[in-house]
Amino acid sequence: MRCDHDEHCITCGDVAVEMTVLRVDDERCLALCEVGGEKETVEVGLVGPVAPGDAVLVHAGTALQKA
Amino acid sequence: MRFVDEFRDPDLGRALAGEILASVEPGRHYKVMEVCGGHTHSIYKYGIDDLLPENVELVHGPGCPVCVIPMGRVDDGIAIAKQPGVIFTCFGDMMRIPGSNGSLLDAKAEGADVRMVYSPLDALRIAKRNPDRDVVFFAIGFETTAPSTALTLKRARAEGVPNFLCMCNHVTIVPPLRALLDSPDLRLDGFIGPGHVSTVVGARPFEFIPADYGKPVVISGFEPLDVLQSIQMILRQLAEGRCEVENQYTRVVPYEGNLRALEVMSEVFQLRPHFEWRGLGFISQSALALSDAYADLDAERRYEVPGVRVADPKACQCGEVLKGVIKPWECKVFGTACTPERPIGTCMVSPEGACAAYYNYGRYAREREVV
Repeated sequence: MRCDHDEHCITCGDVAVEMTVLRVDDERCLALCEVGGEKETVEVGLVGPVAPGDAVLVHAGTALQKA
Repeated sequence: MRFVDEFRDPDLGRALAGEILASVEPGRHYKVMEVCGGHTHSIYKYGIDDLLPENVELVHGPGCPVCVIPMGRVDDGIAIAKQPGVIFTCFGDMMRIPGSNGSLLDAKAEGADVRMVYSPLDALRIAKRNPDRDVVFFAIGFETTAPSTALTLKRARAEGVPNFLCMCNHVTIVPPLRALLDSPDLRLDGFIGPGHVSTVVGARPFEFIPADYGKPVVISGFEPLDVLQSIQMILRQLAEGRCEVENQYTRVVPYEGNLRALEVMSEVFQLRPHFEWRGLGFISQSALALSDAYADLDAERRYEVPGVRVADPKACQCGEVLKGVIKPWECKVFGTACTPERPIGTCMVSPEGACAAYYNYGRYAREREVV
């Protein structure tokens, strides 16, 4: 998940990335998500319950919608 | 890849380009603004403007959050970063934005502890690992990013991390659009609405554009076919004499937005009475500050900041670029004194900035159109 001139600035711009949920920590509203081999801990409190295998739209470490 | 390959199909792209050509009136000049920097980037990365008829002009809007940060706010951030004991965290592009006396990257070179993070959650993690130091997160972005900051502040409060602070520079999308529509030097026919801002705020906030100004808005995704289809939908509205808010990006944008995100934002933030935008000046109620309930985590209340308004360098014409009045290559320093490696203006820093998009995809110069 990099700021890269070939791609959009994924952190400060308006662009979100579709990631796949790998593991969920329901108690802390966090999920380990993956895209293109890179993994990131993501806030999932805004999108309701998620389960491994779900696709979520992630921006700045937060899932904004289920994809 | 799902939602990617099917939106980059060249045959469908050519068919859409044909429909666009068929829907324009010869002799009429169309000016369509893409509000979001992400769309500007897509347009030049995929050469979408080359598929459009000559009388359809795309104007680049103020929707790159890095580009609209005024120099004075960068100076305020640097002043906090230089306080003893502070760890200052921000997104990558923000580090290279020039202030009146250097960037955050320069401040880091001079010894300030400035660290790049990919999310506010990363900054919170740094705060937990360094309980004896204040960790300040420089928050920027539109409504896409604001929920992330809000959730992290709530998490800091819930997990008892008093040394996590926020310098809030979040801005909102509707007031600058209204300012642009009220501006006398810009005549626009329609808007390509921001995609991911709308996943949070929904389509409703844009209803004032057709209602008060009689212009169509189409909320768009970021793949090349998304953008082409949105342009086609705008032109069709114009051809049929309609103006309404349409949603091209229905696969992720619900009409009412994300209500939980809006609720969290209204708890953590309050509207600033006014905020300075680069190129657009002061716009009332256009930015967010931490609410009184989160005053103890507000870096601007804990540290004194200069708060001085700094004029842009004389050579820089970011203001006119952000308002869509000139094209990037019409700026005097574009591609010569101002490049992505050594930017003078903000529009050259972020890949979503109009100047960086033109520079990176080889749009160095074009003949000035005679109107």
